[in-house]
Amino acid sequence: MSMHDWRTRNMGYVEFANYSNIIGNWGGAFVLVCGFILLIFAYIFWTEAFTADREKWFFLRAFIAFIILGVGLFYIVYAWEMMINAPADSVRLLRYREAFFNSLIRTFYYAFGSIPIQLSLALLLAYVLFQNIRGRELFRMIFFMPYITPTVATAVVFGKIFAPGENSLINQFTRTLGGDAYRWLQERRPFLEVVFGWEIEGFFAGPSMALVAIIIVGIWSYTGYNAVIFLAGLGNIPKDLYEAARVDGASEWLIFRRITLPLISPVTYYLAILGFIGTFQAFNTIYVMRDTRVLDQVNTAALTIFDTFKVDGNYGYATAQSILLFVIILALTQVQRNLFEKRVFYG
Amino acid sequence: MVDKIQTQLTIDGYSSAQVATKKFPFRKIFNQSLLYGTLIFFSILSLLPFFWMISTSLMTASDAQVSRVLPTTVLQFQNYQSAWVEGNFGKYFMNSVIIASVTLTGMVVTSVLSGYAFARIKFYGRNFIFTALLATIMVPETVTLVPNYLTIRGNIFPLPLGNNTAWFEMGNSWYDLLPALTVPFMASVFSIFLLRQFFATIPDELWEAARIDGCGHFRFLITICLPIAKPAVFTVVLLGFVGSWNSFMWPIIITESETWRPLMMGLNNFVQDAGTRTHLLMAGACITIAPILVIYFIAQKSFTQGVATSGLKG
Repeated sequence: MSMHDWRTRNMGYVEFANYSNIIGNWGGAFVLVCGFILLIFAYIFWTEAFTADREKWFFLRAFIAFIILGVGLFYIVYAWEMMINAPADSVRLLRYREAFFNSLIRTFYYAFGSIPIQLSLALLLAYVLFQNIRGRELFRMIFFMPYITPTVATAVVFGKIFAPGENSLINQFTRTLGGDAYRWLQERRPFLEVVFGWEIEGFFAGPSMALVAIIIVGIWSYTGYNAVIFLAGLGNIPKDLYEAARVDGASEWLIFRRITLPLISPVTYYLAILGFIGTFQAFNTIYVMRDTRVLDQVNTAALTIFDTFKVDGNYGYATAQSILLFVIILALTQVQRNLFEKRVFYG
Repeated sequence: MVDKIQTQLTIDGYSSAQVATKKFPFRKIFNQSLLYGTLIFFSILSLLPFFWMISTSLMTASDAQVSRVLPTTVLQFQNYQSAWVEGNFGKYFMNSVIIASVTLTGMVVTSVLSGYAFARIKFYGRNFIFTALLATIMVPETVTLVPNYLTIRGNIFPLPLGNNTAWFEMGNSWYDLLPALTVPFMASVFSIFLLRQFFATIPDELWEAARIDGCGHFRFLITICLPIAKPAVFTVVLLGFVGSWNSFMWPIIITESETWRPLMMGLNNFVQDAGTRTHLLMAGACITIAPILVIYFIAQKSFTQGVATSGLKG
């Protein structure tokens, strides 16, 4: 299907043309993959450097890890430029490619802006709820409500909360904190530039203000769900471990650091993977909340594929994009599984 | 004698001197208030959007314009009526109810039958088929979007019950019809998985006893397994309803006219129509959320557990 030239009807084989137009430069794609492999090597070297029996070569190993990291990053940046600047069959296809590549960066922002925050908040909430709390059921129900709410309705309500006017709820809040009124969902400039005035170019400019608003909505929706699952995980940790630690006189922080955190790690890992796949698929919230004035600054991968498919009616290209996205998701989850599952403690 | 009693009391930890010197439990109270403070703070963050939505939906237009948190006038319940009429929510609501009930009927039938088969009937290639089914969960919705769309539109093969007015080469299509919104969701891998796990726990003795009494598989399923599996079926129905009620991406691509558009699309269209009349929009949002929240409050426990074990939502 991805090898057909579809424009609402099937117009025959184009073979790998759709893929070639997305990738731009196959050599660049190869270098990009090499760069990511080098990053993985750097990570492995870095963790090896900390194993106890090889302390002798610690600095050498750390140094090598840094060198590999630098080379890997260079490869990635170089390949990225090479692929995005490669010639395409038409200007339209060039625009598609840029949209797809940039949407991957935005998905990255979205994932790394929301998942760590929502996981740590959820763990905090679950930890507090796990103490001897009166009305635990009530709190659990309240925290779960944002997750159960239809995402479209959530997006509609937050669309009004993050409205650009002086008097919108979020701007009333920022102004009481002493900040300015921002344009939020209609602001396509990067968050760091708008709020702190840092004018950075390229990747480190960070997400646009509108995407930050959408990230906040994502955190709001999923924290409670993660907390409920963490709570179930905390219930599975054997009680005698805590008792033994208390008898030995360990502080609450030490118990949390050395018992709770390692024993909850399978749940953390599961939720991280789930959230990661979820961000690649996030559609409803962004579709409802996006404003034409921010152009494509909030389009993550799923939205870009949807636009190629629905707005432009270019089915073959959209399918090629989605298959590439699937390959990326598979590769990332495999890497996560192989690298981090060793650090997960299954008891 | 007195000394002895004193010692005894001290050992038990009840001596008057100790009671006097025992400190007021500052630390405990501090800890408790920290815990409850955190919980209440996050509860407010969770509930504030809901509260703001409900309160705005009951405001006058001028109050809603400046986004007050509390209405300054009498509560405007007629907002709900205006939103209902203007947003055509009656139509969308009915559509969503029909779509959900047709989908759920089909889904329960298929998942009960196949869940039972996977759990209790040995047939060639059972594990392979089950593993293949589970693997399809891994494939994201975006990846299957275009193939599914072309299938339902009738490009791949002509579909029964479809209409032939479509402008495609292949004949009968479900585009913009009710089957397009229901049939693809009648087979849910998650429901099959959940019911299979449940049926697998039913002891073999029951089956043997039923077999001796002359039961076949189907009778055994209907009269014995289903009553036992009621909670699992309930969870399946609950999560299926939420998934169907929340579906948004698929209806966008597969509907063209208003005939079968579900409630979520109606709400999204109402964003444009309501424009700056935030109070009406919030009333519309309340209308769409209400059924889900009512079900959630009634069946809270099986809901939380079902979602927590499956990690799924529509």
